[in-house]
Amino acid sequence: MNKIADVLVVGSGMAGLVAALSAAQQGCSVRLLSAGMGSLAICGGTIDLLGYVQGNAIADPWQGMTQLPEEHPYRLLGVDNVRLAMDSLRKTLEDHGWPMHPAIIDGHDGNTRLPTIMGTLKPTWLLPPGVEPQTLATAKNILVVSVEKLRDCRPGLVIDQLKRYKEWADRTYTPALLPSPFGEAHRSISALDLARLADRPQTRNWLLDNLAQFAGNYDLILLPPLCGSRADLALQQQISAIAKCPVVEMLSIPPGVGGLRLRDVLLRAMKECGCTFIENATALHAEVHDGCCTALQVNASGVVERQAAHAFVMATGGILGGGITMTPGTVQETVFGIDIPAPQDVGQWSEQDIFGNHIFSHMGIRVDSAMRPVGHEATPLWQNVFFAGRTVGGYDYAAEKSGLGVAIATGWQAGRMAARAALEMNGKQQ
Amino acid sequence: MLVASRGMPQQRTDPNGESMLETTVVVIGGGATGAGTFRDLCMRGVPTILLEQGGLAHGTSSRFHGLLHSGGRYAVGDNDSARECIEENTIVRRIGHQCVEETEGFFVLTPEDDPDYVQGWVEACAKAGIAAAEVDVHEALRLEPNLSPAIRRVFRVPDACVDGFRLVLHNAMSAQRYGGRMLTYHKAVAIHQQNGKVCGVTAHNTLTNEDVEIACSCVVNAAGSWSGRIAALAGLDVAVSPDRGTLVVFNHRFTSRVVNRLHPGSDGDIFVPHGSITILGTTSTTTDRPDDTIPTTAEVQRLLAIGEPLFPDVRNYRILRAFAGTRPLYTPGNASGRKASRGFHVVDHGSEGLEGMVSIFGGKLTTYRLMAERAADTVCKKLGVTAPCRTAEEALIPDPDKATLALAARHFPMAGLKIMADRLGDDLPSVLDAAKAKKENPLLCECEMVSLAEIEHVARDAATHSLTDIRLRTRLGMGTCQGTFCSLRTIAALAEHNIPLDIPPTENMRRFLQERWKGLRPALWGIQAREMELGRAVYAGVLNLDGAAHEQNC
Repeated sequence: MNKIADVLVVGSGMAGLVAALSAAQQGCSVRLLSAGMGSLAICGGTIDLLGYVQGNAIADPWQGMTQLPEEHPYRLLGVDNVRLAMDSLRKTLEDHGWPMHPAIIDGHDGNTRLPTIMGTLKPTWLLPPGVEPQTLATAKNILVVSVEKLRDCRPGLVIDQLKRYKEWADRTYTPALLPSPFGEAHRSISALDLARLADRPQTRNWLLDNLAQFAGNYDLILLPPLCGSRADLALQQQISAIAKCPVVEMLSIPPGVGGLRLRDVLLRAMKECGCTFIENATALHAEVHDGCCTALQVNASGVVERQAAHAFVMATGGILGGGITMTPGTVQETVFGIDIPAPQDVGQWSEQDIFGNHIFSHMGIRVDSAMRPVGHEATPLWQNVFFAGRTVGGYDYAAEKSGLGVAIATGWQAGRMAARAALEMNGKQQ
Repeated sequence: MLVASRGMPQQRTDPNGESMLETTVVVIGGGATGAGTFRDLCMRGVPTILLEQGGLAHGTSSRFHGLLHSGGRYAVGDNDSARECIEENTIVRRIGHQCVEETEGFFVLTPEDDPDYVQGWVEACAKAGIAAAEVDVHEALRLEPNLSPAIRRVFRVPDACVDGFRLVLHNAMSAQRYGGRMLTYHKAVAIHQQNGKVCGVTAHNTLTNEDVEIACSCVVNAAGSWSGRIAALAGLDVAVSPDRGTLVVFNHRFTSRVVNRLHPGSDGDIFVPHGSITILGTTSTTTDRPDDTIPTTAEVQRLLAIGEPLFPDVRNYRILRAFAGTRPLYTPGNASGRKASRGFHVVDHGSEGLEGMVSIFGGKLTTYRLMAERAADTVCKKLGVTAPCRTAEEALIPDPDKATLALAARHFPMAGLKIMADRLGDDLPSVLDAAKAKKENPLLCECEMVSLAEIEHVARDAATHSLTDIRLRTRLGMGTCQGTFCSLRTIAALAEHNIPLDIPPTENMRRFLQERWKGLRPALWGIQAREMELGRAVYAGVLNLDGAAHEQNC
């Protein structure tokens, strides 16, 4: 453990995992620190690229990217690099048995509006295996399934809401509530509880048997994300085969069963590349000398230790992940203490409308095209420090529906650039 | 002299087919004073209708710190008010124990406060009849370990905490038991008079946009901060000025007791615990709008600065939200802010040429019952009703019998049973029946222990139109998650059981979250900012509520 890593990545959300993979693929030794489960544990299983630009729905995210402001991470990277990043991720997923794909419209890939457990539609880009946009568009006879005691998803609401969209209004819906496999115990259940049952062949039958009763009666079954917590293509195929129709999981609130599947794939891929994964480790602050970072002070399971590396990728998850600290009147990046410009008056950080165009939702580190944080003169603050994911500023993932897309694109670039910096430093030392 | 008509409010249809109600008294304002007057009149057998422009307690009665004053706060400056406080405090504990947590209170002298103030304060408390015994500082710190170790002196007083919304609701329930009728979301838009006497009120239903005519011989203006506007409907003027107060809610109960700073009344010097949270209040700024209730960051910062000498860690506690209300201060001769009297006044507008119109204003929630009694006395005298006031003797809500509670324990989690029974009051038996009829009765809000049966019951109430109405009645979404998880579950459960609210689900959720957002914005930092990002991730990022607002086109 004392050996200096080439690249130290902080954070195991999508951005951190992609950065670690991307650095490792360049031939670097990579160490990844994670404070908790990372944001994938609260994400859905689809990948958003870009759904809205300034409140307008975008059918083709690649086209939409050209309309983004210059400081947006996609613009800093350039569309071609974003494509390379996405291709790289798709290849990794495919190589590990979890091929994801976008809708193809007139030869171009585009967004698909997928139902959520609230019955709203959300545009997303990469779909999990087995989800075909064509089926969603044409199914006439739809079964909406949930499970007793799964309070977050009720078929009645899903159906009521879907009917409020023109393209979903003119269809036949049937609600169904499966009995809880946990019996009458006085506890509510989450989709993750159910998904874990489906992971194991010996407890999988409750789902298969319950779906079998509907076989052949419907064109499409919508259900909450309970078809396993791991990326298990065979299980997905088995479920659809038993139901005799496509089975599509609705996008759901945390716990993020779909995100855990992506995490499962990426952790496997990362370990194959020889990356070291250290859990329960929180980066506290950075040691910097002469325009370079030499090490991070880390609280690892309660012990403060020094983690040295040749290059660093910070994928610390912004406000939600703890990478950005907000106090009255000031906003700072947490580990390096980089000041993030913000109005003195907290009242100006947000708009009155909860879904307005808030200043705080764009707040983050300003980076160059290599993902290095920059100062006033747009020059990099350190040669070997790179940021990725939501700690980077200039975009509002929630409004744009661009969260995982930006995480992948910036993570890919930060990992690649960190690898380059590390290899250069290695070269100098040798 | 006017004559009381027999029986309770009557509905009839006028020749034009329009809705027409007939009663003796219309009380305007569904806050504590209005609901208290409503109850008092109904108990004396006077047919009465209560009008409220929003939901119950939509104004100031749900927008204060929830302190049932011992009177200690007013002892020096306004000894008469202090005496009223301690007397009413004792009564409210007795008649409304379901709404009160008997915490007691501390008055604490910090190094920043003038030690010479203490002697006069002790004497003033004694004069008003407020028990104020000194507690050894070490003992006080043992009882309240989060208090600053630098504090100098501590006195114990009979302060308590009160749930303002519940107090109003239980008053209204009691009135309805005596035959009273309540119209929420009805705004008084005209007061009619004939030959110098009140003869009716026009109420506008703000949800259906329909007008309702109510024939009556008396109007009680108990509209609090809005009472100036109500008086103006009758061409009258009352000396009431809204005074804005902002408060901060923390996600922890870091004090078991109410804690006041022992100094002349000032901003931000009272901490009031409620359940698992603590409220810090209150600022005082003159405003010309009774609905001036959007808190600012500057006010939050000011409250924290003034609270710090009492609780040195106050800036590290997670702020759940901030909120503001307006006090209806009685300001003859333009007294304002903290200098204005906290006393109350009943005005019989008969002397100004409008017989049958009575206004009640000023005062504070602690003395709501006494205010209601005085207003009802004035009305009854006009009507020739001699029945005495009984509101100080009779409990607002009868305690459920042991058999009912034992039955309830079979259908509700034990931990939440008392909380739920206290909250429900008269509704307990019906909610229990609903729970019995269900295969299961899950909790939809764990923070406040709200079960499906209770939510269904409240949702079916004619006075419930939105998730926010359900929140006020049940406290759903008032806890740690601030509605992030329980609001979706509630909307889902209502759809599942075919209980549509007037507002469609997506819009209902948006309004509910918007209401919570208003309180979050001025304190958008620390752990609460992270919680808020989780909410945005869920509702915008995953559920696309923002996009759905424009895309649901059928």
